[in-house]
Amino acid sequence: MDILAALPVQALHGLVYGMLLFLVASGLTLIFGMMGVLNFAHGALYMLGAYFSYTVLQLTGQFWLCLLVAPLVVGLAGMIIERFFLRRVHVFGHAHELLLTFGMAYIIEELVKIFWGNEPLRVVLPPILAGSVPLLGIEYPVYRLFILGVSLLVFVLMFLVLYKTRAGIIVRAAVANTRMVNALGFNVPLVFLLLFGMGAWLAGLAGVIGGPYLITNPGMASTIIIDLFVVVVVGGLGSIQGALIASLLIGQLQSIGIMILPQFAMFFEFLLMALVLIFRPQGLMGESK
Amino acid sequence: MTRRALTNWLLLAAGLVVMAVMPALVSEYNLNMVVTILIYSLFALSFNILFGQAGLLSFGHAAYFGVGAYTSVILFKMAGFSLLPGILGASVAGGILGLLLGIFVVRLNGTYFALLTLAFNALLYAGAEKWRGLTGGEDGVAAMRPDLYIPGLGDVGMFSTLHWYYFVLIVVLLSTLFCWHFTKTPLGRLNECLRENEDRARFIGYNVYASQVVVNIISAFFAGLAGGLAGAFQEFVTVTFINLDKASEVLIMTFVGGSGTFWGPILGVSFLTYLNQWLSDLTEHWTLIQGIIFVALVMYAPQGLSGLLISVKDRLLGARAARMATAKETR
Repeated sequence: MDILAALPVQALHGLVYGMLLFLVASGLTLIFGMMGVLNFAHGALYMLGAYFSYTVLQLTGQFWLCLLVAPLVVGLAGMIIERFFLRRVHVFGHAHELLLTFGMAYIIEELVKIFWGNEPLRVVLPPILAGSVPLLGIEYPVYRLFILGVSLLVFVLMFLVLYKTRAGIIVRAAVANTRMVNALGFNVPLVFLLLFGMGAWLAGLAGVIGGPYLITNPGMASTIIIDLFVVVVVGGLGSIQGALIASLLIGQLQSIGIMILPQFAMFFEFLLMALVLIFRPQGLMGESK
Repeated sequence: MTRRALTNWLLLAAGLVVMAVMPALVSEYNLNMVVTILIYSLFALSFNILFGQAGLLSFGHAAYFGVGAYTSVILFKMAGFSLLPGILGASVAGGILGLLLGIFVVRLNGTYFALLTLAFNALLYAGAEKWRGLTGGEDGVAAMRPDLYIPGLGDVGMFSTLHWYYFVLIVVLLSTLFCWHFTKTPLGRLNECLRENEDRARFIGYNVYASQVVVNIISAFFAGLAGGLAGAFQEFVTVTFINLDKASEVLIMTFVGGSGTFWGPILGVSFLTYLNQWLSDLTEHWTLIQGIIFVALVMYAPQGLSGLLISVKDRLLGARAARMATAKETR
């Protein structure tokens, strides 16, 4: 196929992956902005979403039920991690919190291998999502459009919550100045707990819808975690708009990059991250603290 | 000499004697395990120059280790280097990389340092995977371990495990001695001072940036050396020498041993390697157990095993001192 003719389709691929990435990264970047903790286990929570979804599908055969149940379970898992593990090492400082989440990621990955095995798992989609429709001159899988739709919906909802509700104002204020919000009498530990749960819920949701697309396998956490860190760094500390821009950028870098220079697609991403860290450590949209 | 210093010297001497007669004590299989422990101890010590002493948490130390391993094996294979020049080449390659990356990474600290080291490691991993002409990609490169040339003695064959063990032992001991001495030098002291208070060091007039770059070079030099030894030991190198799992491994081993003491990393490597050997016969979920040990220590003993040992010792000594004090009073 001619490169120019393939460009719109590749751009659409990139958009789908970019939006999925944003679903996972949005929770991560808010938590990082507020708590100063880069949650290494975030990718593992995303993977758990995919695996829980697989199991619910095995038990009930209802994909729509997976979409409801799996993210909730992952959100709960996230809250347990925050309440009973992360909070306890808070006094030792950020390095220890980072190490803790790193250890949790390690453990979750091993548990997944024990419970579900090393082999990739196949998720059977309901008929309505399994077909394809003509789009941009080719037959495009409906499921990818579904991913795009869900991600867009969640993004709009999240934006409304963050910018139009009282809860959103507290979260954004806590990102900007955690101590001040605490001093004003808000229960910051509770905000942390709920936000962590929310971030995990989003990661779980992304896992459910990403599993059938990116293949449910024990390596999916470590595959996505690098992309996530790139998004958080490039987008900027705690900036949700930055995360969106960076996610879309990574999506395009990967899909277009792989078409033009297949050998070097991986490099662009790391190079982008290294350049941002060196020249603009606060990220594209972040404010330096 | 105080009594305590005397005890330490005696312990050290006893350790050296045990290491010297080790081949007579253990089977060849276990001797290979000891060689692994020696090589990874050096890797963990080099990591701890940054992590424990400088307070810089790196998620990408496998970059130096891996480049060292590739350098030695490729030098053996393509340039026909003998053992010592090959290993030295690996260290120099590690050191040069330490300079190149150090220029960028030491400007940052905390989470950003961790992220940038991770990014560079991932970049080098991608490079090793793609540059098949040099690295063989996922298939890797293999080269026989060459002989060691000693002037006046000629070639010493390294095929025998015994010879190889003594070679690794001497190289690792000399490096350890250097690293230990480094902590006593002005730069080593400054390194720890920067961990505690970078601003103060700057006010006093130290060139913080330059010294941190130099520390990064030293750390990378020894990581490269460890990688070179590992490549020569396996007679093979592949992307697993430079991937992020390798970077995690050295972090876990160092942390479990305890980053707060000089000997902690060696303790961590020995403990985990031995435990791995012992447990992998019983269960295939060794990595899970390692992860649980790691998280438990992060939560309850942030100073690692060496920190635990020290606090137990202090408690025992404290109890004895208290007993002696009461004994004196009652007298």
